[in-house]
Amino acid sequence: MIERYLHQVRVELPPRNETTAGARARLAEKFPRTAVRRMTHLGLLMGSALEHLALGPEDALVYASSYSETRALEDFLLSFPAASPLLFQTSIHPGGVQQVLIGRQQPVARLWPHAGRARLVEQALLSALLEPAERVVLVGGEEAGTWMLEHGMASSRSFAFALGLTRTATGAAGRLTLNRGPVSEEACPTLESFTQALTGRHALQWLGAGGTWKIEWYQAAASVAGVQP
Amino acid sequence: MNTPADQLPAGIEACDCLTPLGDAAATATALLAGVRALQLTPVLGRDGGDLVPLALLGPMDETQPPRWVPHLRRLAAGIPAGRWGTSREPVIVTSSNFGVGSLYAFTRDHDTRHLAHGTPYASVELLQREFGWGEHVHVFSHACVTAHLGLAHAARLLHGGVADRVLVFSFDFVSPFVAGGFHSLKILNGGMPAPFAVRETGSIGLGDGAAWAVLSRAGAPFRLAAHAMHNEMFHATANQPDGRGFTACAAAIAAAAAGRRVWLKGHGTGTLDAGRLEAEILARQFPGAPLTGWKGSLGHTLGSCGLVELAITLTALRGGRIPGTVGSAAPTFTDTVALEPFARTGFDAAILTSNAFGGAHAAMLLTHD
Repeated sequence: MIERYLHQVRVELPPRNETTAGARARLAEKFPRTAVRRMTHLGLLMGSALEHLALGPEDALVYASSYSETRALEDFLLSFPAASPLLFQTSIHPGGVQQVLIGRQQPVARLWPHAGRARLVEQALLSALLEPAERVVLVGGEEAGTWMLEHGMASSRSFAFALGLTRTATGAAGRLTLNRGPVSEEACPTLESFTQALTGRHALQWLGAGGTWKIEWYQAAASVAGVQP
Repeated sequence: MNTPADQLPAGIEACDCLTPLGDAAATATALLAGVRALQLTPVLGRDGGDLVPLALLGPMDETQPPRWVPHLRRLAAGIPAGRWGTSREPVIVTSSNFGVGSLYAFTRDHDTRHLAHGTPYASVELLQREFGWGEHVHVFSHACVTAHLGLAHAARLLHGGVADRVLVFSFDFVSPFVAGGFHSLKILNGGMPAPFAVRETGSIGLGDGAAWAVLSRAGAPFRLAAHAMHNEMFHATANQPDGRGFTACAAAIAAAAAGRRVWLKGHGTGTLDAGRLEAEILARQFPGAPLTGWKGSLGHTLGSCGLVELAITLTALRGGRIPGTVGSAAPTFTDTVALEPFARTGFDAAILTSNAFGGAHAAMLLTHD
């Protein structure tokens, strides 16, 4: 069995109609004024989710997003033939978390940016479990698209989460385990349903990657600090 | 303190690549002969624009199916048989651009068929269907160090007991999307790249590239012995001026390579600041080790470059001669830059490096019998 304890779970799940400008106004005080003007919706949400997770250079970061910087990608495509250098930079995976860490001037040794879909959550969690770093921060999310959403190529809502994973049980909010076992497969939680489970502290269990995945909670959502449902 | 490199040795069962110069064998032969694949080409393809150096496997304008599919079919034909995409034999796909050229094409002609493979996961799902891979396909996207991540993650899956063999598959094909983006940054301009050369103006080229490698824990003549990484998070596109990001990564891989006689395949895109930092810091960490780079011929194959250049390295090592820095000329940033081919004799390892936006650095140690 491989296990890690879940600490500092934070979720940003704003109303579906929140715009980038709305998020900028709501979260402005969390970021330097010079940085916030350029941040994307996803970057703002991730920055807020990471607010009290002080990363060290020895920590590792796992990033999960199927679509990443959708709005920057949409706008960059529409900027041709006079391609925008700023939108080009911002559109590149994993820009969502890079803009947060660059704003903090926070180096990290290892960053594992996942961009799959069907088993994205499982694969990101596996990266976290295989990390030798004492602390791994898993951050994920999406931002709602506009014209790409109309074609089913973007998330329908914006959200982000961050959680710290360590080997220390003391003070943990929950536990993640992978028990080697059946090779059968079940559907893996989507990134959005995983985020909902973090928000409500719902237990999760499924089969995949040659084992049984389980997330269990020691504390109810209401008693855990840092939840922003 | 630098984070130590991962030292989880993985044997390379098989490996190949595809570039405009051919497969790994043909590409290595052409590089040894100093052939330059880059040609001045309109930056937006049929939409025109400035001429910039691109190394392409065909016109970069998008097609149906995507222009990269037939090339990848040809490349994938050489992959050893396996239960690829199962939990014990997973696939790791790495790219920077995936099928994003299809999105650009859609914005031009509004043909919705392009949209079927415009996102990273959708382009990978197309590959799954093409090649009969199962559901266990990990997808990484970390700009130009992505292939290194795929190879390092493969080693972790093998040593974590999660997988028996891993197929790492990498592809990046140039589109007006990416060419236009780099052109907007002014580093893709009318000049041919001259990696590690002292010049007035830096310039890069871009190239199509794809590659794969099958890794396992079994012994093999060539082994990926260690991987080092560092992410500066200093600036979206620039490095720390003092080179501390390069140093962190180079020092970690140097520690893993202690006692080895190494040569170096650098990132070497042709930019001036990053090229100087890379050459100087590698020369400091590996005194006297020759430094070469091949993007002056192949262009920068972006997220696939780490694996494409690994495949070329393996072929060159088998042939006994390592290509020099094609397209470059004296004076160079350091006297360790190898402008001409050199013999593998006397070396028992190579270090391959890549760098990316966000100040991302990656290096791997390749050892051999």
